[in-house]
Amino acid sequence: MTLEAAGFWGLAPVLLASSLAVVLSKNLFHSVLYLALALVATAGVFLLLQAEFLAAVQVLLYAGGVITIVVFAIVVTERLVGERLAQTNRGVINGGLISLAVLIWIVVFIAGAQLPRTAPPPPGDLTQAIGRDLLTRFVLPFELLAVLFLAGLLGALFFARKEE
Amino acid sequence: MGLQPYLILAACLFAIGLFGVLTRRNAIGILLGIELMLNAVNINLVAFARYAADPAGLIFTLFTISITVAEVALGLAIVILIFRVRLTVEADHLDLLKG
Amino acid sequence: MINAGTLALAALGLPFGSFVLLAVIPPLRRAGRAAGALSIAATGGSLLASLILWRGLPGQPVELQWSWLPAESGPMASVGVLVDPLAAKMLVLVALVSFLVQLYSLGYLEQETAPALGRYFAYHSLFAFSMIGLVLASNFLQMFIFWELVGLCSYLLIGFWYDKPEAARAAVKAFWVTKAGDLGFIIGIVLLWGQAGTFNFIELFAMASGKTLPAAGLGLIMFLIYLGAVGKSAQFPLHVWLPDAMEGPTPVSALIHAATMVAAGVYLVSRVYPLFLLTPDVLALIAWVGAFTALLAATLGLVQADIKRVLAYSTVSQLGYMMAALGAGAAAAGFFHLLTHGLFKALLFLGAGAVIHAVGTNDIWQMGRLGRAMPQTAIVFLVGTLALAGIWPLAGFFSKDAVLAGVWEGGLTVPFLMLAVTVFLTAFYMFRVVFVVFFGSGHAEGHPHDAPLVMTVPLWILAILTVGAGIRLAVGGDEGAHSPGWVPWLSSALAVAGIAGAWLTYQRGTVSADALVRAFRPLYFAAVKKFWLDDLYGAIYRGVFLGVSWGVGWVDRYLVDGVVNLASAWTLRWGDRLRQIQTGRAQDYLYGVALGLLLVIVWSYWR
Repeated sequence: MTLEAAGFWGLAPVLLASSLAVVLSKNLFHSVLYLALALVATAGVFLLLQAEFLAAVQVLLYAGGVITIVVFAIVVTERLVGERLAQTNRGVINGGLISLAVLIWIVVFIAGAQLPRTAPPPPGDLTQAIGRDLLTRFVLPFELLAVLFLAGLLGALFFARKEE
Repeated sequence: MGLQPYLILAACLFAIGLFGVLTRRNAIGILLGIELMLNAVNINLVAFARYAADPAGLIFTLFTISITVAEVALGLAIVILIFRVRLTVEADHLDLLKG
Repeated sequence: MINAGTLALAALGLPFGSFVLLAVIPPLRRAGRAAGALSIAATGGSLLASLILWRGLPGQPVELQWSWLPAESGPMASVGVLVDPLAAKMLVLVALVSFLVQLYSLGYLEQETAPALGRYFAYHSLFAFSMIGLVLASNFLQMFIFWELVGLCSYLLIGFWYDKPEAARAAVKAFWVTKAGDLGFIIGIVLLWGQAGTFNFIELFAMASGKTLPAAGLGLIMFLIYLGAVGKSAQFPLHVWLPDAMEGPTPVSALIHAATMVAAGVYLVSRVYPLFLLTPDVLALIAWVGAFTALLAATLGLVQADIKRVLAYSTVSQLGYMMAALGAGAAAAGFFHLLTHGLFKALLFLGAGAVIHAVGTNDIWQMGRLGRAMPQTAIVFLVGTLALAGIWPLAGFFSKDAVLAGVWEGGLTVPFLMLAVTVFLTAFYMFRVVFVVFFGSGHAEGHPHDAPLVMTVPLWILAILTVGAGIRLAVGGDEGAHSPGWVPWLSSALAVAGIAGAWLTYQRGTVSADALVRAFRPLYFAAVKKFWLDDLYGAIYRGVFLGVSWGVGWVDRYLVDGVVNLASAWTLRWGDRLRQIQTGRAQDYLYGVALGLLLVIVWSYWR
C-alpha cells in the first residue's frame, strides 16, 4: 500500500462522514463546522493529487473565507430571529432515493468507463504552470472573473444598503 | 492507485450534497449542500488534471473556487435580506412563484 | 334657337351646381336665406331652360350620349339625356313646381334657423337635380341612379325635423318601403339587360317595335320593373309610407310627395310604355292594382282628421287613377292626369301649408271659419279642390275624364266602377275638408290671416295655371281622349253628388256624420285602422325580421359564443391544473433538475 493509497483511504471516510454530518446535523452551527472539516479533508485530497497550491487556496478561501461568512450569516439571522436556528430535513425518503439513484448511475457510468490505472509522473512545478497558464491561455476567463467579482461586489453593496 | 476511487469519492460527495440541497428546510443549509456538490466537482477536476497531466483542470478548479466564494457571499446576502423582509429563512415559506 | 341638348343639360346642371356650392361652402349654406336665393335662382334657370326646350321642341327625340363603364364589346352602359315630348312636359312640371315650392318655402320656413334653412335648400337643389336627371335619363341604369337619389332626398326631407321622433321614423319607413319596390326594379333592369344587352331606351324601343326583343321572361321583367313604380308611386300594397311622409315640412310634401317624386313611378311606366305594351298581363295587373289603390285610398281619406293626411291619401288615390289609365292602355290620359294633378295637388298642399302656418295645427277639427280670415288661401284651395273633384272647366275635369274613358274603352268594367265610386268619394272627402276648415262652425285658435306674399304668389300662380289649363282645354280640347259622350256627365254627376253630400253632412248638418259612421261602422272602423295594413307589416316585421334576428342572436350567443367559451373554459381548467406543478419552492424545482440529470446519465449510458 503506497502512501497515496493510505492517505486516500484515511481521508475518504473522514470526508464522507463529515459531509453526511453537514447535511444531517440538526444544529446549523455544527453543520458549518462539519463543512469546514469536509473542506479541509478535500484540501488533503488535493494534496494527494499533488495540487499543493490548490490545497492551500482551498484552506484559505473556503475554510477561512466561506466558513467565516456563513458563521456571520448564522449569527446575524439568529440574532434577528432571537432563537437558535434549528434545521430539519424534509422529504428525506424522496431526496434520498433521488440522490442514491444519481450516485448509482454515476458509479455505474464510472465503472463502465476506461480509466487510467496509474498516474503519469508529475510534469514539474504545477504552481508555476498554473501561474503561467492563467496569464496566457486563460487570460480572458481570468479577466471575466474579475468582472464577475465586480458584479458580486456591487450586488453585495446593493443588498447591504439601508432601506430608504 | 487509479483514477476510479477519486471519481467514486467525488460522486459520493456529490450525492450527499444533492441530498442536502433537496431536503434541507433552511436556506443556509441548502447553501451548504451546494458547497459540498461544488467540492465534489473540484475533486473531479483536480483528479482529471492529475491523470491527464494538464494544468488546465487545476485552473478550472481555481475558477470554481473563486466563483463559489462569490456565490456564497451573494447567496448569504440574499438570505439575510429575505430574512429581513419575510422574517424567515425556511425555504418552504419562500414560494412567491407558486402558481 | 339654342340646341335642345344644351338646354337639357343646363336644366340638369344648374340645380347640381347649386347643390355642390351649398354642400362644399359651409358659410354659404349657413347663411340660410342666401342659400335659398341661390337654390331658387338655379331652379328658376332650370325652369327657363325647360320652358324654352318645351316650346321649341324638335319633332325627333334628342339624345346625347357619353359612354360609361367601358367593356370589351363596346361600353356596357352610357350616360346621357333623352328629350322627347314626354320628358319635356314632365321637365316643365318638375322645374315649375320645384321653383314655386322653393319660393314658398322661404316664407313657410322663415322661423327655422339659418343653418337648417341652408340644409333644406341644399337638399332641395339636390332633389331638383335628381328629379330632372330622372326625367331626362336616357337609359335604365341612369334612371335607376336618379331614382335612388330622389329616394334619398325624400328620406332627407321627410326627416328634415329629425329631432322629432315621428319624422325620423317616417323617413326611415318611407326609405325602406320604397326600397322594397326598388329591389324589384333593379332586378328587373338587370334581367332586361341580360335579355336585350342594353339599357338604352331608344334601342330597347326599337327592339320592341322590331319584335327582336326575346319574349321569354319579359312578363316577369316588366312586373319587376313595375314593382319599382309600385314603391315610388305608393300603389297598394306599398302605399303605407306616403301618409307617414307627411311628417316632413308641407312644401316638401307638395313637391316630393304630391307633384313630382311619387309621380316618378307613373313616369317610369309611361317612359317605357312600348315595353309594357308587349306584356298585356302586366298592364292588366297595373290597371287593377291602380283602381283598387284609388278606391282604398279614397276610403282611407274619408276618416282622416289631419289635413295633410287627407291630401296624402288623395294623392295615393289619384296615382291609382294614373296607373289604372296606363294599365288600360290609355297612356296619354294617365300622363295627362299626372301633369294636371301635379299642378293642383301642389296647389292644395301649399294651400294646406298656408293654413297650417296660420293655425299651427294639422287637425281639421281645430280649424273653422278660415274662409273669412284667409280669403286668398280659401279661394285657391277651393280652386284646387274643385279641380281634384273634377269639376268643369278646371284641369282635373279633363284629365279625369280621359282616365275614366280610357279605362272604359280598355274594357275593364270593374276597375271603371271602382274609379267611378272613387270620383264620388274624392269629391266628398275633399269638400269635407273645405267645409270644415273654411266654412265650418269650429273655431281656430289665435288670429289666422293670409300668408305673406312670398307664399301667396306661388299659390296664385298654381291656381291660375290650374284654371288656365282647364279653360284652354275647354276651348281647344285637343289633349283629352275621345270618350263616349256619357262619361263626362257621369263623373260630373258623381262629383256634384259628393260635394252635395259633404255640404249636407258637414255644413248644413242635415245628415249627421255620426249617423254615417254608424251606417258604415265596419268599414269606418277598418278605415280608421288603415285596413290593418300597417299592423300587418308591423307584425310581419316583428314575426319575420325579429324572429330571424332572434334566431341569429341565439346561434351567436349559444353556438358561436358557446364554442369560444368552451375553448376558453377548457384552457382555463387545464391551465389551473398545470398551475399546480408550480409550487414556488426552489427545492421542488431541484427535484426536476435532479431527475433531468438522471435522465441524461441514463441516456448517455444506453446510447
